[in-house]
Amino acid sequence: GRRGTMGGGKKRLAVEFDQINDENIGQLRVINQACFPVKYTDDFYKEIVAQKSMELSKFAYVNGSVVGAICCRVEPIPGANRNRLYIMTLGVLAAYRSFGVGSQLVESVLDFWEDSNSNKDIETPFQQAMKTVDEIRLHVQTSNKDAMDFYIDKFGFVQGELVQNYYKRIDPPHCFILYKKLR
Amino acid sequence: MASIDPNKNPQTGMGRPLPKKEADLFKSVIKFYETKMYKKGLKSAEAILKKFPNHGETLAMKGLILNCIGRRAEAHELVKLGLTNDMRSHVCWHVYGLLHRSDRNYNEAIKAYKQALRIDTDNLQILRDLSLLQIQMRDLSGFALTRHTILNLKPNQSLHWLAFALAKHLTGDNEGAVSVIDCYLNTLDANCREKQRGFESSELALYRFEILLETPNMEQAALNYLEKCKDLVVDITSWKFARARCQLTMGYHEDARQSFLSLFRRGSIEDYRVHSGYMCAILHLDKDMCEYSLKLRGGNTVATTLPLNAGQRKILLDAYTNELGAIFPSSAAVARIPLTLMEGEELRQSMDKYCRQNLTRGVPSLAQDLRSLLLVRCDTTNGDKTSSIKKCYAAVKDPVDVKQHPVTLLITELSDSYLQSLISKNTFPGSDIEESPSTLLWTMYFRAKLHALCGEFEEGLEWVEKCIDHTPTCVDIYELKGRLLKLSGDIDEAADCLDYGRNLDLQDRYINNKTAKYLLRANKETVALERISLFTKDEGNLDQHLFSMQCIWYELEVAACYARRGEWGKALKKYTAVEKHFDDFHEDQFDFHSYCIRKVTLRAYVDVLRFEDKIWGHIFYRKAAEGLVKSYLYLHDNPSAASVNADEPKYSEMTAAERKKVKAAARRKKKSAEKESQVKEGADGQSTNNSVVIDEDPAGELFLKRDPLEEANKYTNTLVNNAPDSLSTWILRYDVAIRRKKLLMALQALYKAKAIEPNNTLLFTRIVDFASKCFPDDSCPLSVREVISSQTKSLLGGKTVLEFVCEARNRALEDAKCSLDTRLAIAKTLVSTGAGAPADASVLVLDGGVHVRNATVDNCKEALNYFSDLGLEEEKSKW
Repeated sequence: GRRGTMGGGKKRLAVEFDQINDENIGQLRVINQACFPVKYTDDFYKEIVAQKSMELSKFAYVNGSVVGAICCRVEPIPGANRNRLYIMTLGVLAAYRSFGVGSQLVESVLDFWEDSNSNKDIETPFQQAMKTVDEIRLHVQTSNKDAMDFYIDKFGFVQGELVQNYYKRIDPPHCFILYKKLR
Repeated sequence: MASIDPNKNPQTGMGRPLPKKEADLFKSVIKFYETKMYKKGLKSAEAILKKFPNHGETLAMKGLILNCIGRRAEAHELVKLGLTNDMRSHVCWHVYGLLHRSDRNYNEAIKAYKQALRIDTDNLQILRDLSLLQIQMRDLSGFALTRHTILNLKPNQSLHWLAFALAKHLTGDNEGAVSVIDCYLNTLDANCREKQRGFESSELALYRFEILLETPNMEQAALNYLEKCKDLVVDITSWKFARARCQLTMGYHEDARQSFLSLFRRGSIEDYRVHSGYMCAILHLDKDMCEYSLKLRGGNTVATTLPLNAGQRKILLDAYTNELGAIFPSSAAVARIPLTLMEGEELRQSMDKYCRQNLTRGVPSLAQDLRSLLLVRCDTTNGDKTSSIKKCYAAVKDPVDVKQHPVTLLITELSDSYLQSLISKNTFPGSDIEESPSTLLWTMYFRAKLHALCGEFEEGLEWVEKCIDHTPTCVDIYELKGRLLKLSGDIDEAADCLDYGRNLDLQDRYINNKTAKYLLRANKETVALERISLFTKDEGNLDQHLFSMQCIWYELEVAACYARRGEWGKALKKYTAVEKHFDDFHEDQFDFHSYCIRKVTLRAYVDVLRFEDKIWGHIFYRKAAEGLVKSYLYLHDNPSAASVNADEPKYSEMTAAERKKVKAAARRKKKSAEKESQVKEGADGQSTNNSVVIDEDPAGELFLKRDPLEEANKYTNTLVNNAPDSLSTWILRYDVAIRRKKLLMALQALYKAKAIEPNNTLLFTRIVDFASKCFPDDSCPLSVREVISSQTKSLLGGKTVLEFVCEARNRALEDAKCSLDTRLAIAKTLVSTGAGAPADASVLVLDGGVHVRNATVDNCKEALNYFSDLGLEEEKSKW
């Protein structure tokens, strides 16, 4: 998932976050269908629900309706005994873009990493995991200029390697890795 | 009676009196019964019976205990045997009464208790049981008598004083009730707990006040008492409202105004009843008007019901802007009520502000909220008959009228201007403040709803689609889309649409129930049950669970669904389930008779009793009864529909696999129910009686075996007694009476209906039916025949049937908006009476097109079918 928001110009909307669970997972399907050209598998949705937490994956509500969502997971960095955060999807409904909803979603995840690392009272598995996370990254389709600007300009991500033929059913099929070292 | 030697007890041989050992055993039987240790009770009883097999009281007690563990037939036998063996025992009579009471045979139980009291006059337990039944059956004078006896026996218990005061009040002796309370208070020490400030003393004081206020010409005394008891009262809001109400009805308008203001300040600012009182006080309305206004419900106030002149409106408006507006700037009621008082430019500006605020906040109900502002003057007489004041405004309902109402025009124009501006610049017209995108969503939603109210379904659906493009996650939109689809006749797609919305938020019980309802409308009751089961706990026996939860809306919908499919047994069964709930509601009063008096919640208790008196007039009961009557009448008219086979699951229409599945499911269900009942019975016999119900008649075949006309008559009797103000009561009464050939009863029904709504279409068709069919034959007494013929003439307004029908047709033709229902009904009578040719009938119906009142997909279809049956195929094409 790689459709971001510009976040600039207009006023920042008041956003509330809430957990994604078995009862409201249908909303995530609707958001993803509206935002992304690829279709996600049932396993994707199962993984999100199984997190049973709103620390890494969550909905953004504006005035009572779900208008966007971020879904992340923790994955190992190959060859190192450390982990990284991977943004699977970040999507905001077209009508609500440029109001800072996407930024607030990304900020909330970065804040979670920050808090977990400065907080001594570790309570949840994800808080624990954040101590081992050194980097955050995602894939972005090479044509998605908006998303690249969003991550690079607003959050200081760096453009990494080009992955050829990452996508099977969309054109162009290539993508870049965007990443940011967290420490 | 033959002379009896007083020294020789004829029942000695039967163990009376019992020797010491057995007498002690008998006492333990009673103790075990009272503590619900039934097994031990039975053991003791049997030990006595071993020695004295004919001992009446033991036999009776054994029966009573057996009744508690569900062995009812044996119980009846034993209790009767006991009573025959010992007719002079108050215990036997008491037990006999208790048995009848548990069968809900209250009148018989009362008789038995009275018999017991003849033998043992001062038995407190029996007196108490008797008084409970008397209040339950509303034998009020008997109740008062019994409570008086009890009070005389035990005057030191406050409970008995209060019960007697209440009895006096209920029998209409208000002064007596007050003096009983005063006597009671005089028996108490000045410093005792009952006279200190506290919940019980507070409730008693307010109850005493309410009795005074209900008494003619005692308002001043009531008001004085209210001031006197102020320090006792803990329910300050009630006290303040009572004072305000009293001041108002006595004409102390300025005091009342201050009292209502103080209520507002105390937190009642959103209470429309308080607003009505406040308005009455400002306008110095007379007593009747005030009492009427204080009874208004929902969002109605003086402003939406009484005919106010411009001056009065201005006075109210000033009060709201200057007085309330200043003190309560954020109150929703203070913002909304002025909209019901304004006109013209002033209304426009306020409405504009009101809409913008609500759309920005995203209030989905804005359209319904404003809909109640669509009022017209009306002259109908429905509503409270006891009051001389009539409601002068009614909300318009039909899309045709909604569409041309000035308020609709105003809000439509406003919403169109909002849309234009929001779409182009994301601001409201003339504003620089950027809105959240959700404002556009709710404005489009609002526009779609306005279209729905005006009957413009296609336009509504267009806006709904735009809403879905904008925020496809918003559940409310799917509900509105479903509604629009339903109104335009596509119930299947409507149900699917709701189901899609439901899927987005499985925790939303409202949308879940709404989906179930739509599925039932689409005759998909299996899926509906699946959906509704997501919110029920008992997974094993769903129907049973919904029944014990008294889920009436569901039962009514599912019954209607079965009726549409011609599964009459099942339909009757579900409708009867609703009737059963109302029996239970009535029965539930037993929980309150002793509890409320003990806890001194007398005001609430009197409210409950008065509510229960009217319970069979409740809309849910009326719907169930109407369903029952209509189904039974159908069965009467079509006896073959009642053949049991028609009601079996249609195995022949299923594939072999389906058939197997259905039968297996039925078997499983039966098995698990049996298992469950075994488990419960095995529970040491301590479980309460017959709590397990095995459904032995899932298809409701038993109902089909009843005499349909008798059953229909039974329910119309209940309706006539409990809902005499409802037109449909009398229409049903007519339909049943005419089939039972009770001509006078039918005639009376027509007159009653005419008094409620003289121009009603259902009534019109029945008048024609009666006049054209009912020529009483010679078996009828002459006097009856005379009454009927003269009264029929008067119903027809002195005209012949043909003239009557033709006149109705002419009236319909002149009124361009005359409803489709009416047109169709008149058209049918034109043909059936021979007053017109099918072509005339067709002209009458087609003349209005689809833009007449009450044109629904259903009655358009009905019209179409009617004309195709007449062979007017060419008319079909005109639709």
